[in-house]
Parts: sequence; C-alpha cells; structure tokens
Amino acid sequence: MKEVRNYQVIVVGAGHAGCEAALASARLGADTLLLTMNLSTIALMPCNPSIGGPGKGHLVREIGALGGEMAACIDETCVQMKWLNTSKGPAVRSRRAQADKYLYRQRMTRTLFNTPNLTLRQGHVTEILVKEGRVSGVKLETGLEFECERLIVTSGTYLNSRIILGRATWPGGPQNQSPALGLSESLVKCGVSLRRLQTATPPRILKSSVDFSKLGELPGDPDSGGFLWENRLRRYERQISCFLAFTDEESVAAVRRNLSESPLMLENITNVGPKHCPSIDRKIMRFPDQIKHQIFVEPEGWESQELYLQGLTTGMPPAAQQEIVRSVKGLENAIIMRYGYAIEYDALAPGLIRKTMESRALKGLYTAGQINGTSGYEEAAAQGLIAGINAALAIKGQPSYWPSRTNSYMGVLVDDLSIWQKPEPYRITPGHAEFRLTLRDDSAERRLTRDGYLIGMVDEERFSRINAWTTRIEDELARLNDLSLFPSGEMREKLVSSGTGDLKKRVSGCEILQRPGISYNDVKALLADEKDDWLMAPDEIYSLETEIKYRGYFERESEKIAQTKFLESIRLPLAKVDERLASLSPHIAEFLLSDQFDDLNQLVRKNCLSRSDLAILLTVLRQDSEEVVGDPEVLND
Amino acid sequence: MSKARTDTIAAVATPPGRSAIGLIRVSGPAAFEILKRIFKTGGKKTFPLPHCAYYGSIIDPESGFIADKVLVTTFVAPHSYTGENLAEISTHGNMVVVSKVLQIALRNGARSADAGEFTRRAFLNGKMDLLEVEAVSQLLSAGSMSQARLALNQLDGLPSQFVSRIRSRLLDHLVQLEASLNFPEDAIEAIDEHILARDLKKILAELQIFAENARNGSMVAAGLKVALLGRPNSGKSSVMNYMLGRDRAIVTEIAGTTRDTLEESLTIGNYAIRLIDTAGLRQPGDRIEAIGIERTRSAVAEAFALIAVFDGSDLPDADDRLVMAELERSGKPYLVLRNKADLAQKLPDAFFDGKEQIVVSALKGSGLDRLVEELRRIIEDRGLGEYEELVLLGAQQAAALDKALTALERACAGAGRMYQDMLAIDLEEAVRELGRVNGETVDVNTLDLVFERFCIGK
Ligand SMILES: Cc1cc2nc3c(=O)[nH]c(=O)nc-3n(C[C@H](O)[C@H](O)[C@H](O)COP(=O)(O)OP(=O)(O)OC[C@H]3O[C@@H](n4cnc5c(N)ncnc54)[C@H](O)[C@@H]3O)c2cc1C
Ligand SMILES: Nc1nc2c(ncn2[C@@H]2O[C@H](COP(=O)(O)OP(=O)(O)O)[C@@H](O)[C@H]2O)c(=O)[nH]1
Repeated sequence: MKEVRNYQVIVVGAGHAGCEAALASARLGADTLLLTMNLSTIALMPCNPSIGGPGKGHLVREIGALGGEMAACIDETCVQMKWLNTSKGPAVRSRRAQADKYLYRQRMTRTLFNTPNLTLRQGHVTEILVKEGRVSGVKLETGLEFECERLIVTSGTYLNSRIILGRATWPGGPQNQSPALGLSESLVKCGVSLRRLQTATPPRILKSSVDFSKLGELPGDPDSGGFLWENRLRRYERQISCFLAFTDEESVAAVRRNLSESPLMLENITNVGPKHCPSIDRKIMRFPDQIKHQIFVEPEGWESQELYLQGLTTGMPPAAQQEIVRSVKGLENAIIMRYGYAIEYDALAPGLIRKTMESRALKGLYTAGQINGTSGYEEAAAQGLIAGINAALAIKGQPSYWPSRTNSYMGVLVDDLSIWQKPEPYRITPGHAEFRLTLRDDSAERRLTRDGYLIGMVDEERFSRINAWTTRIEDELARLNDLSLFPSGEMREKLVSSGTGDLKKRVSGCEILQRPGISYNDVKALLADEKDDWLMAPDEIYSLETEIKYRGYFERESEKIAQTKFLESIRLPLAKVDERLASLSPHIAEFLLSDQFDDLNQLVRKNCLSRSDLAILLTVLRQDSEEVVGDPEVLND
Repeated sequence: MSKARTDTIAAVATPPGRSAIGLIRVSGPAAFEILKRIFKTGGKKTFPLPHCAYYGSIIDPESGFIADKVLVTTFVAPHSYTGENLAEISTHGNMVVVSKVLQIALRNGARSADAGEFTRRAFLNGKMDLLEVEAVSQLLSAGSMSQARLALNQLDGLPSQFVSRIRSRLLDHLVQLEASLNFPEDAIEAIDEHILARDLKKILAELQIFAENARNGSMVAAGLKVALLGRPNSGKSSVMNYMLGRDRAIVTEIAGTTRDTLEESLTIGNYAIRLIDTAGLRQPGDRIEAIGIERTRSAVAEAFALIAVFDGSDLPDADDRLVMAELERSGKPYLVLRNKADLAQKLPDAFFDGKEQIVVSALKGSGLDRLVEELRRIIEDRGLGEYEELVLLGAQQAAALDKALTALERACAGAGRMYQDMLAIDLEEAVRELGRVNGETVDVNTLDLVFERFCIGK
C-alpha cells in the first residue's frame, strides 16, 4: 500500500541522531517525516544519565551554536551541572550535566511535535526503496510505503540487536524495546557493508537501599551556566548530588568468582565494543593489579528512585551482578531494579560515509549516530544535525555543508568518521582534535554561529545578538592590542611584586595582560578613567584573557590551521588527473580519482602521500587555486 | 621526486676508474628476471637461489655478445641492503666492460638509478633509519678519517637509539597528561608537576648535549672553518698559500664555493679544515664601514677558530685594533701571528697586550710549522676527539631537532606553572619532531597508548 503523501526527507529513528536530523531538516524548510518504532521512547537515554565532559561537552556547545537542539534540551532538564578540568586549562575545560532522563525525553518530544514541516509517525522500517540508483522511499513492516527524496537512517543500537545476560541471549533492543529486523538486509542490498558491534550498560539500583554515609558526595556547581549561549550565565540553584564509591579486594574477588559467566569468557558476543566503557569484567581481566576502581552513583532524574552505577557495566547474569554490586562499601544491601546487560547490533563498516553523512554507496541515503560506529548521545546528535542540514540543503539545491577540523569538534568527528579504520566504536575526546586550543568550549559561537546563520539554522535575531557579543570580545582584543600604556603606581607595584619585572618602556594592553598574575580587571583599574564600556560579563572576560595569555600557542596553532584549511579546501575526487600530475606514484592518482576520500587533508592524515607526492600535488593544485598558502615544506608539520 | 618502487633499478656501485673489479647492483622486483635474461651460469646450481654466488657470463640476449665473465651474488627480499630482491654483478674492473654490462641490464628491464636511490629504497623498506641514511651519504663523500669514522659510528645506530629513548620518555609523560586531560573522571593519579618539571629538565639537558654533539658532528663533517683575519696586506693570502702548499697533495676545492669567498680545504691530523680568508671584505684605503665589519663578524661567528695576521714591519692602524677587538669579542679560540719577521719590526710588543704571538714569515716559511701545531692543539682542546659522541644530521633533521628543543624548552619553562593542556601541546610537538629526527614515525597515537596503559572506563 502506498501512502498518498510524499515527503522530501524521511528520518528513520527518533534517538539522539534522529531528533536532531528531523529538526534540522524541518527547520530548513524541508517537508520531513520522522518514523520511529515507538513514539513513546523518543530521545531515550538507554545508558548513562549524563551529557557532556571533555570533547562531548564541546560537541553539545557546538550543536547549540549551530542551531541544534541538544544544548537547549539538556539545559532545561538537568538535575546537576558542573565544570570539569577547570584546573587543567582552557582547551580541555568542559561542562558535564546530569540529566533527568524522563524530562529530557518529554521536552524533546514536545519540541518535535511543535516544529512546523515535521510529521511524526510510529513505524518499523524494514526496507529502503531504490529507484534508478537512488533512494526513493521506505517500506514498513506493515507493508505501508512512503516516498522521499532523501533518507536519513539513525537506527542506533537496534539493527538485528541481541541482548546478552550471561548465558541467556535473545533478540531485543535497549530497554526492552524490540529489535529492528529486515533493515540490515535491505542496507546490504543497497551496497552498504555492515559489521557487528557491542556495548553494555550497568545495573540500576534502588535509591533507598543505599547507605550514603559510606559514599563520597559530588555536588554540582550552581554557577557553571548552561550549554546554550543564552544560558551561559544561568544559575542552577537546585541540584542533586552524585556519589562516589570504590571497588575493593572483595569486589575484585566477586568479579573473579563469576568471570566464567561473563559474555567475554563465554564468547557469546562480539569482542568489538567501545574502548572507553569496558565492562567491569574486562577491566578486572585487563588490569589485574588494580583493586580500586571508581563507581559513580548517579541519579536518573528528580523523581526517579533509580541510581545508575557508572563503572559497573556488565553483561554477567543477575546473580553475579547482585554479588558484585553488594561487595561495594555502601551498596551492601542494594536492591537491583534493572539488571545491566550487553547488546550486540549491526553498524556500518568503517569509511562508508562522507563528511556530509551521505553514504558513499547509495545516492540520497544518509546515516547518522550509532549506526555509523560511534557511541554516545552527543556524537549521535552532532551527526544527526549535520545529516539533517545536508539532506535539507540538497532538497533546496544548495551546496552541502561540512564543518572543518579547524573550526569544530563536529568537524573532527565527521572527518574522522569518514576515514576511521579502527574496529572499535568512536568516541570523541580532546585527544582527537589537533587544534584544541582554538576549539575551546568558550569559542563555540565565534566558530560556528555565522555558519548556522548562513545555512538558515540560526535566525536573524539570534545571530545579531550573538554577533554583538562576539564582536564585543574581538573589538576589545583589538583595542588592548593598540593600547599603549606606561604602568605606574599600583599597577607598577603589582608587576614588580609578581616577579615579572619593572617596565622600562610603554607597552600594549595585551603585553601587560600576558604577564602572569595580571588580570583584565587589573588593566581596567589602571585605565578606569579612559573608557567606560569595559567588558563586564565573566564569560567575556574569560575568553579575552585566554586568547591574550596564550597568544604564542594560538599563533603556532593558527599557522597549522591555515595549512589544514588549504588541504581541506581541495575536494576529492578530482575530476581528472592531467599530465602535470603524471609523475605521481600511480596509486596516488587512483586515490585522487576514487571516491574514498573527501579532501586532500584526509590523504595526508592517512599518510598516503610521500613528501614529494605532496610537493608535486601542491605545486600543481596551487596553480589552479586562487588561495595563497604557505610553503609546502611546512605542510609536513 | 618519488617514483613508485615497483620498478627495478641498476647502477655501477664502484667508483669510476681505478678499482680491479667493477660492481653493478640491480635492485627491485624484477631483478632476478632481468638476470635470468642476461646471465648464463656455468654451474649446476639453479638460478637464483637466495644468497648464493654464481659464476657465469653476461650475454647480450639480442646479439649473443658475451660482455664479461662475472660473479653474480643474489640477495632475496627483505634480506638485502635495499630490502628488495637484489643482485650484485662483479665484473672485471675495465670501465668499458662495466658500462657494457650496465647497458645490457638497462636494455633488459632495469632503470638507471637516481643518485642515492639504493639507499632511499633501503630507508623506505625500513632497512635503515634516517640517521643511518645520512651516515651512508656522508660516508660516500667523506674526505678525511674523522669524517669517515663519524659516518661509521652513525651506521651503528647509536644516535638513533638515543633519540628513540628520549622520545619514549617524553611520550610517557605525554600519555600521562593526555589521560588526565581527556578522562578527568577516571581516577587517574594526579600528576605531580614538580616531578614532571624535574624530569623534563633532565631530558632537556640530555637533549641539549645531543644537539651540541650534532653541531660538532656537522662541523666535523663539513670541515672545521678557520677564519683568517687581518688588515689588507698583512699577509693572509701568503699564510694560506703556504699552508696549502705544504699540504698540496690533499688540497681540494670545495664544490660550490667561489673564489671570492677565498676558501680552501686541507687536513690537519684527522680533521678536514676549511681555511677562509676574510680578504675582500674591504678594499685597501676604505673607511671602516659598518657593512665591512658586519661581514667580517659573520665569518667570525661561523668559524671554529680564528687566525689573526699582523704585519710586524708596520705600525698598528685602526684595522689592526679592530681585528684585535674582534678576537676578544668572538669568544672563539684564536692564534695571533706576527708576520713578516724577515723585515725590520715596527709593531710594538705592547700592541699584543700579553697575548702569545707566533712569529712567522710567510715569505720565507719560517714559524709556520708552529702555526699548524697550535691549530692542532686548539682542535684537540676543543674535545671533538670522541667520534662515538658525534652525530650527523641532515638539514631537515637538524631543523626538526631544533624544533623539538624549542618545544621542550617551552615545556620546561611551563611545567608547574602553565596549564597542563598547554604543556601537552609542547610535549606533543617535541615528541613528533624527535620522531622526525629519526624518521621513525611522525604520528603520535597518544590516545591508543592512554587506553593501553590506563584503565579508562565507566
Ligand atoms: C545497553 C547500552 C549501553 C550503552 N552504553 C553507552 C555508554 O556507555 N556510553 C555511551 O556513550 N553510549 C552508550 N550507549 C549508546 C547510546 O545509547 C547511543 O550512543 C545513542 O543513544 C545513540 O543514538 P542514536 O540516535 O544513534 O540511536 P538510538 O538512541 O539508539 O536511537 C535509535 C532510534 O532508531 C529507532 N529505530 C531503529 N531502527 C528502526 C527501524 N528500522 N524503524 C524505525 N525506527 C527504528 C529506534 O526506535 C530509536 O528511536 C549505550 C547504548 C545501549 C543500548
Ligand atoms: N717580506 C715579507 N713580505 C710578506 C710576508 N708575507 C706577505 N708578504 C707580502 O705582503 C703583501 C701582501 O700579502 P698578502 O698575503 O696578499 O696579504 P693579504 O692582503 O693579507 O692577503 C704581498 O706583497 C706579500 O708578498 C712576509 O712574511 N715577509
């Protein structure tokens, strides 16, 4: 049976990727249908009740800056908010929120329902319809068909998913949802190869069964502000604490006693899971000498009576889980409300998507989220946003958009994903970003909001407000740079006492600020009479001080950024490889013409090019390019 | 320019002329195919077995012409110099024969090798690291014993082992930092910044010594520069000519130098010396101009040692005083010559202000042996004698070492004071650049190491 109505964009799945994709597509004006297996579990958080942290928190800030939803949603629905890494430096400092899982779902669902151009329907998609080599629609389990021009599949951990609990295994999705059957086979028919991945979640225990006197309390930070620019100075007065417990000899012994029942030992599950969230079984096996492992005891919401045990992820059978949980000081009488489990699912083989999230295998098909081999809500949401934007831009006949490695963690994410070759799932961390000083948490708007505005994700009013703010910081930077002053009196004493020496000649405001122990407010005090519109907001001052104090680092980083930008600007595949490139190694020419890479920077990052190949390429390509860039020699840095 | 390593190259490996045998190397996937085509073995052994020597003839398959009776040795990949299939053809030393055999190889599928291409392939196939490659190229062009021994030391791989060790110590710290930066909630032990700072300082000190050895190494390899200073007509060219003359047999003109820099090479003991006459910096009678002083100073700055020549038969003038001042300023070892001892002396001893003079006559050749002796002593005092410690770096490697040092200096200055994320940026750069010195690896997969070494996970 064919549905009378055609859609321009269909999104399959209403997880974190699907929600962002559907919202972006609809907000950009594409007539969008969101199909999901269960309309009651939109934006479900099947695992940890938290959003943010280094890398992930940066993504959430960027999603907000580019006009996505996750930042706004978590800001409204968190039960705790705090800063991490503040003492370790501006590049890695990031917020982390503890979510009320139930409120998060409700709020996201409400946003979806209230968005024009967006239709929500429940349905289990079993087949991708293809006409003349491109996507033409989808077919449901019920036989119903919908037509579309662009299709975004965000099936998360549901494809042919299987639950594993010790020796017991059955087909099933997260949180007792049903598995998605049929779609995997259809994807394979479309030329998309799949692989099997696994992940697992810890048990949840009853709050009133915990002896909190034996745990350490981890309160939130009322002044941390929210992820969304509009919420940056928001105060969170009312918060719930997390708690910290530790394993000891007894817990390690309990794990050891039960290892034979671990899916790892039973080998009834694929071995390929996220490196960064190993199960407790795996941790004990890999680091046998470590006795003390942390367990964060986290609330799942304001009203929820369940506590999440971060650190005790396992797919062992129920009896073993109880033994392990109760071995932990403070959890001796814990009552498990939901057991942990492992789940195994189909995901795309690495390297099958472009940076736009469009499939290399089938025109009109996009994939985003866990299906692309990532793990984590934030990674899923970021991809969903990029996929949704590009599907809608394609409908409008506009050029596609991808963020650059040089301007965002989103850029790092999509770039890595399109050439990631490691077997395990991908999680973003600052370690993936080579320009992390530039990609700071506080600079998200300066890096992305203009893009959001040009695409149409950020409206005129929001853009002008944010733009006024970023301009204020940049103007002040320029002003301090031009300012020539000769510190006297109190300032002079301060400089001398901070051990940075006396000043013999006039210096710029920036030079003074660069000295250790000198703050913007000091400079302000020195020059109070000369000007009255000083920056007042702490976030503005923070950004300004950071950029001035680490100027040397920024300058070194920005040289490399310019090189990377140039390499990224050379899009692949090339239309042709002419005689001028004849002296390249033959396999390089193949790379340049084949659809394996999106841009030249990817070839460089994958070490496909020798110095001389790169030199030849740059010489030739520069002849063709308008852009003026640096010396090809330094490109090897 | 790189060519795919899919083709097979051939070249003569013995220097042209003299030697009693000629050696032609053929390397690449088709090496043995080519040999089968042009080589007929007399013996019963099947050709080619790995690592065997065969006696037989090189025959031009087109004409049937027998070029020479030869010995062919086979090396099978990866157990060869280049890491590829390799055949060595030993011919009789006659140049005509050698070039005939090479031509036959070239006409039957081999390509003429570019300069250094055998060594480059060895590097690309992981048979040598960059420091060793550098050593080979230096060895091939070595002009003195010290240069040759320096290159041989490098081939033993000692310097590259040192760089690897330093790099891995820095990498340990980097991994620790990255673990704590990327995973703040995983109970990774807090970094003790004092220990870190202390350790980085130690590493920096070791690396600075290594860099000093590299500077000495490149000095020795390039020849030690000795600058002759003195006002016009004090006798610099005469001194130079005399020194060259008594050593005429080994005088070579360094390629690429032009006459106007007035540079000549000779050896003293085991060392190659480059004598540089700063003549021509000023014309006689010119006023002392800033530009002339600048140029003299840069020659002085690059020099290993200085020889100042004064005309004993004349009164000191402004130029002489300038030269004297330069000697003091430079901080370099120097020798002071009172030249023209054969003429009546007007230059008062007081002018030398107690400095030891070597009294010579460049015209008569008197006193100049002592000059050479003193120069030898200066070189020895400088402690360049320990070949084992000297290091040779190519230009790119030296630049990488410099960058590594700068980054490490920044890290040292920042440790304990600067945010850890900045520290990590500096350490990462140091680790990356050191990788480049060795040509080992440039990528730094810190995150993989973090997961290997720490129990990360929620
Ligand atoms: C047990 C478990 C443990 C996890 N542990 C961690 C962890 O420790 N750390 C971490 O970062 N992340 C973890 N995750 C992953 C995290 O849940 C996901 O990264 C995130 O939810 C992925 O978002 P997504 O939008 O890609 O997919 P999901 O949130 O899984 O959403 C997929 C959506 O697609 C729908 N759908 C699927 N197939 C179809 C179909 N054929 N037709 C219609 N609708 C369909 C589903 O109903 C669902 O709404 C875990 C997940 C599970 C299940
Ligand atoms: N009598 C005498 N004349 C010398 C001596 N050394 C150099 N001269 C002469 O001094 C002049 C200048 O010498 P030259 O080596 O060209 O000086 P330069 O300008 O310092 O290089 C020439 O005419 C030499 O022959 C010496 O020891 N005794």
